[in-house]
Amino acid sequence: MTDHFDIEALHSHAEPRPLPVGDGAAIVILALFILFVIAIPKFDIAGALAFAAFPLLLATASGIALMPILKRLVIVSPFILFMAAGNLALDRSTVLRIAGLGVTGGMISASVIMLKTVVTLVSLLSLMAVMPFHRFGKALRSLRVPEVFVTQLLLVYRYSFLLAEEASMMQKARDLRSFGGRGKGPFVTARLIGSLLIRTTARAERIYMAMSARGFHAALDSRPRVALNPGDLAAIACSAMLFALVRYFF
Amino acid sequence: MHMSDALLSPVVGGTFWTVSAGMIGLSAKKISADSDGSKTVLMGVMGAFVFAAQMINFTIPGTGSSGHIGGALLLSVLLGPRRAFITLASVLVIQALFFTDGGLLALGCNIFNMAFIPAFIAWPFIYRPIAGDGSSPARLATASIAAATLGLLAGAFSVVIQTTLSGISDLPFSIFMLFMLPIHFTIGIVEGVLTWGVLSFISKTEPALIAPVHEGRSSKSGVVTAILFVGALGIGGVLSWFASSNPDGLEWSIGKVTGKKELGSPSEASHKFLAGMQEKLAILPDYDFRNAGRTGQTATSATASPVNAGTSLSGIAGSVMVLLLAGTAGLLLRKRSTPSGKS
Repeated sequence: MTDHFDIEALHSHAEPRPLPVGDGAAIVILALFILFVIAIPKFDIAGALAFAAFPLLLATASGIALMPILKRLVIVSPFILFMAAGNLALDRSTVLRIAGLGVTGGMISASVIMLKTVVTLVSLLSLMAVMPFHRFGKALRSLRVPEVFVTQLLLVYRYSFLLAEEASMMQKARDLRSFGGRGKGPFVTARLIGSLLIRTTARAERIYMAMSARGFHAALDSRPRVALNPGDLAAIACSAMLFALVRYFF
Repeated sequence: MHMSDALLSPVVGGTFWTVSAGMIGLSAKKISADSDGSKTVLMGVMGAFVFAAQMINFTIPGTGSSGHIGGALLLSVLLGPRRAFITLASVLVIQALFFTDGGLLALGCNIFNMAFIPAFIAWPFIYRPIAGDGSSPARLATASIAAATLGLLAGAFSVVIQTTLSGISDLPFSIFMLFMLPIHFTIGIVEGVLTWGVLSFISKTEPALIAPVHEGRSSKSGVVTAILFVGALGIGGVLSWFASSNPDGLEWSIGKVTGKKELGSPSEASHKFLAGMQEKLAILPDYDFRNAGRTGQTATSATASPVNAGTSLSGIAGSVMVLLLAGTAGLLLRKRSTPSGKS
């Protein structure tokens, strides 16, 4: 489910900045990091905590505003909470005692699920906070992601803000005319969404004409992609080794 | 219905990543052949439309709660399977990157459950045969509700399979199914009614928008690919539960020659280090606490505790120290890299 999350707030506090490695390499390193976090066993809190050091380092070093990220994580997916609660309820075998208090296997595995969620999502949001979306698109091209898909991503990102504003105005207009909840049912809403759809397609035609006038031909960036350079490859290899060592020692 | 990184094992996440990335590659290749710039822009703006439409809430009659449209089936009807798939996948990527819905590794599963199933299963196999050319209101309603409901149920079933195969959650398969399917059946009906409402509004005001999609009529190869993918994953998933507990050929031969089930490993330090690394880095670890094996206890023993309290606490303390160090190092690095004149 998509709800309101101020993407601009995420970007406004942390200035986009050049990273010590290429953007493509940064994405690969993030993917490797997440793979290592996911491979942490079910009861290994120490491992999950050790890997939390990486997003913490990235967030503090780059000066990312942590509040928007943490705010978002507070309303973390109810699905995750449900699954963690399931472990808590189903695994009640006491596995250790701390100061007389029994700690169950469910408590540990639920904590690991929540920790893994926070670690992976904070690392993802941190990268997005320092890398503007157009740079992200170029980086994807360097990783051989099809041009059609990258163009699609960039267009969706660009026009989400415009259409979200339009949808918000339509919803406000409907709510102002609604008394006692009348007119908020699915059938009226379907017509409202239908109107938005017609406006959207009309807008798409206008955008296409404007873009064609500026030389657009089915893709936003048809320049040849830049492959990962040897420095990037070395950085990826070093990161993998570092993650492996952290995994070994914790 | 977004899957999360934290509930996935690397193998399950990686498998679905491969499937989804492959389908994106195939669909992009087919779309690239048709270099119609207006459709490219339409896809982009329609992806943004899904975000916008999800902001418009409606009241669910008789419950007092509210919901919003998902939009997967609607896009499939309006854009055809391949373009809808690419559009929905891009929406899911942006949701994962900025809205923390799911995660990076879970993207493969989410694209499979919420883009592949509606675009390549629900639309061609359920919606299109029932709706026909869309001229009959009754057929349009039936097709929308049936395709949305069955598509969502298939997606929810896929989530249950992916979670169960990953082995992170303790929820038994049957209980999880009982929890997921009724909820998604209800959501599917609401989604179907809303999709039908939008489609019937469009068919009256802008019928050209829902003219039959030609792309779908020549997509037999895509459909066959879809069936193969689903079949392969289903067979792999189901058969893995029945994997033989008897030794394989190599183990049988070793047993015959040495009289032991497995060969012992050399005792050099390098071997010990690498064995330790292998144990730590196993992609599918035992998901029992590591120390159980070292102390000679078996994981299945009724009395065996999966946790060694001493080493666990020292490990956690060590990790907390690493966290503190990382935070401090980050703050120091920020101070160093802050340009003069800026606070």
